[in-house]
Amino acid sequence: MKTTEKIDIRFPKTLAEALRLQAREETRGKLLAGGTDLMVQWASGVPAPGRATSIWNLPELSSIEIFPGHVEIGAGVTHAFLCDCPQIRAHVPALVAAAATVGAKQIQARGTLGGNAANASPAGDTAPALLVTGGSVVLASLSGTREIPLSQFWTAYRQIAARPDEIIVAFRLPQKGKARERFRKIGTRRAQAISKVMAASRILVEKGIIQSAAIALGSVAPTPVRLGAVESFLAGKSLSPAVIDEAERLAQATVQPIADIRSSAEYRRWASGRLVRDALENL
Amino acid sequence: MSTIKRTWKVNGKSVAVRAPAGRRLLDFLREDLGLVGSKEGCGEGECGACTVIVDGEPVVSCILPVGQLPDGTEILTVEGIEKKRAGRLIQQAFVECGAVQCGFCIPGMVVSSYALLCRNPKPSVQAIREGLAGNLCRCTGYTKIIQAVKLAASRLPKRK
Repeated sequence: MKTTEKIDIRFPKTLAEALRLQAREETRGKLLAGGTDLMVQWASGVPAPGRATSIWNLPELSSIEIFPGHVEIGAGVTHAFLCDCPQIRAHVPALVAAAATVGAKQIQARGTLGGNAANASPAGDTAPALLVTGGSVVLASLSGTREIPLSQFWTAYRQIAARPDEIIVAFRLPQKGKARERFRKIGTRRAQAISKVMAASRILVEKGIIQSAAIALGSVAPTPVRLGAVESFLAGKSLSPAVIDEAERLAQATVQPIADIRSSAEYRRWASGRLVRDALENL
Repeated sequence: MSTIKRTWKVNGKSVAVRAPAGRRLLDFLREDLGLVGSKEGCGEGECGACTVIVDGEPVVSCILPVGQLPDGTEILTVEGIEKKRAGRLIQQAFVECGAVQCGFCIPGMVVSSYALLCRNPKPSVQAIREGLAGNLCRCTGYTKIIQAVKLAASRLPKRK
């Protein structure tokens, strides 16, 4: 019998039922959405849990809502669904661009936004695009819901701020308004590759002056990170070649990447700066 | 371990499912139903050799636990696609273009091509590359596979 067949998987029909299972340690299971990360980990030797709670297709996690000023995306929404959603593309385009680079069609059809966030890989494709919105994560438990800013959500390598009894239910993301967003991922090949470095940005320029800049990188630190030093340097500056040069240099000086199987620390540092330049040169 | 009892439609036929909830769809199709067209390449959702269509979407069956597919799920495997007109056109085009070398990736390629043409009957080369990006082939270099999908698309009956 294969490892995953030994898991006792529960299939709650509603969020309330799932929250009740997760509330008590005796019934709590590893949360399983589309399985595109967990099923792979369990198949490749990471010890499988005794119990899992399937939240795939829970109706309360599957909707997208557009409000004045922000969008709310259910944690169970798949990357494929995001790619096909014109309103999301209009208001948070970098997120859609990021979702389109997750694996390939087969993975996009099953992988969810909540799952990508919960997996908390520093190379999670959607994380930088979520970060630059300045939005928040909505967590639910039997005791109610609470909202955590995305900037405080990834706390350490593969760690998130959710408690064991909580389920990620949605992402509240401010719309970009007049700002421009961009997403770029550098990997070994265009599709089906985990990134060496990636960047998302949301930058507002009015009359040649940078009003605000949000820039986030993935795969350069234990968690996805915002480049606070670069952002505050850019605010109020005019978009000149000298400013872009300095932003690139500052990004390279700020990041602390590691070397691993996918890339070297030197390359990641260099590419981080180039991605910041790319964001500023393509506004 | 938890066991599920479900009824699905596999290649148009009703199938009673009784299996551990965590059983991989690929194992269920190959071992319980004898549908061995879907192949296991990597076993980690990377290579696409096990691609099948679940409720209209191509997915990799090697990382899909059967428990997550409810009653009424419709599954189309390469064996079912072979019986459809577009499926036969794809097969024929793969043969004519010399798109098959060792052949191990081909069932997955055919399934992804079918899913692509259902959604986009006149795909550009870029759309074909994107549609097949989740299917790895270590022999052909993809050129002839892409030609085959283009050829199949050109022979699809025009939509009224």
